[in-house]
Amino acid sequence: MRQLRIPFWLGLLIAPMVLAQNLNYQQDPAWRVPAEAAEKKNPLAEQPELAAGGKKLFTRNCVECHGKSGEGLKKAADLRLPVVQAQSDGALFWKITNGNPDRGMPSFSRLPELQRWQIVLYLRQLSVK
Amino acid sequence: MDFSPVPRIRPALLRALPLFLLLAAASIVRAQEAPYFVTYDHHLEEPGNLELETSSTLGIPRSGQRLFFAPYSEIEYGVTGRWTAELYFEGQSTSGDSAVFTGWRLENRFRPLKREHWINPVLYLEYEGVNEASRIQKEIVGHSELSDEHNAELADTRARELETKLILSSNLHDWNLAGNFIVEKNLSASEGFEFGYSLGVSRPLAKIATGGECRWCRENFAAGVEMYGGLGGTLDLSLHDTAHYLAPVIRWQISDTSSIHFSPAVGLTHASNPVLLRFGYSYEIQAFGRKVARMFGGRP
Repeated sequence: MRQLRIPFWLGLLIAPMVLAQNLNYQQDPAWRVPAEAAEKKNPLAEQPELAAGGKKLFTRNCVECHGKSGEGLKKAADLRLPVVQAQSDGALFWKITNGNPDRGMPSFSRLPELQRWQIVLYLRQLSVK
Repeated sequence: MDFSPVPRIRPALLRALPLFLLLAAASIVRAQEAPYFVTYDHHLEEPGNLELETSSTLGIPRSGQRLFFAPYSEIEYGVTGRWTAELYFEGQSTSGDSAVFTGWRLENRFRPLKREHWINPVLYLEYEGVNEASRIQKEIVGHSELSDEHNAELADTRARELETKLILSSNLHDWNLAGNFIVEKNLSASEGFEFGYSLGVSRPLAKIATGGECRWCRENFAAGVEMYGGLGGTLDLSLHDTAHYLAPVIRWQISDTSSIHFSPAVGLTHASNPVLLRFGYSYEIQAFGRKVARMFGGRP
């Protein structure tokens, strides 16, 4: 009986955490970008060569949910779709920065600002592939 | 009396082996984190991710006292986007004395606000089942005294403690500024409430990511400094005999899979250890919760 104690308590610890996962992602209509944030221009827009760094950051931070080509896994958004690509650079930057924690998208504000803009640069390349 | 926990732990480790194999097989990636050891910022673990970390605190003693080594392991899990839970196991070894298991901690952090703000609050709640031999010094509270009792005696004095923190953190032009206010209550003794603080500032060493894979690029490093110490307690709200430390910190992202961090902390008062050397290694497994859910029939 004593031997069962550790697995029992571990199971009890892990079960609510697993059940708390959002396995049914759907686009959140309430995830709205403030107008002034959407108007921001990408300061790296004239340096497309920096998208290579954006690709590396995308691979490190985004691929698990959005897929290698941005196709969207785990019901995360397909980043190649017009509904995503039609959004301004500023809107994408704001979404990367703030995330949408209630729907499983973490905030990446821990990345330096220019690195987040590098990710936006790379996202623009997804649509033309 | 045998204080070694090894004979009891070994069967549990064997039973946990399949879990560790699962972890090893999982894809492992992580984002750059702040390099702090003591101070918390507002960034939580990503939902569904599991981070495993092993760290140690090496205490350099004053003359007449003994060097100690306090390792601890940490399992951190992103329960949701606004809730991170951590489980700690810790031990301690003093030179010329025994090695003892010093206890466990269950920590929870909650982020009440959905968006990034100028100042981002996080609420922290921790329950500790530790004994007096604990030396990891993950937080400094109340008044401090450098004990010269043996581990065997210290380990017999157990404490159930409740600790709360108000974490305030801000990202400002790539700098992270963080401050924690700590309140701790020993539920096993009438010690009142004890207070502490920690402050940290850090930043990545590069603003732009290079295109190629590189190990030694500046973008893989983050550095800063933190300061932490005790603020007395309700029984004696004063700063006398409180420990305070000033500590440069650095984190190196060795690869996409893992990082190490290091901090030499300098004691600022007579109640502090002269030097605390802290080092840690961590790696993160993405989508751990989803993989476990699949094992139990959850939908991908």
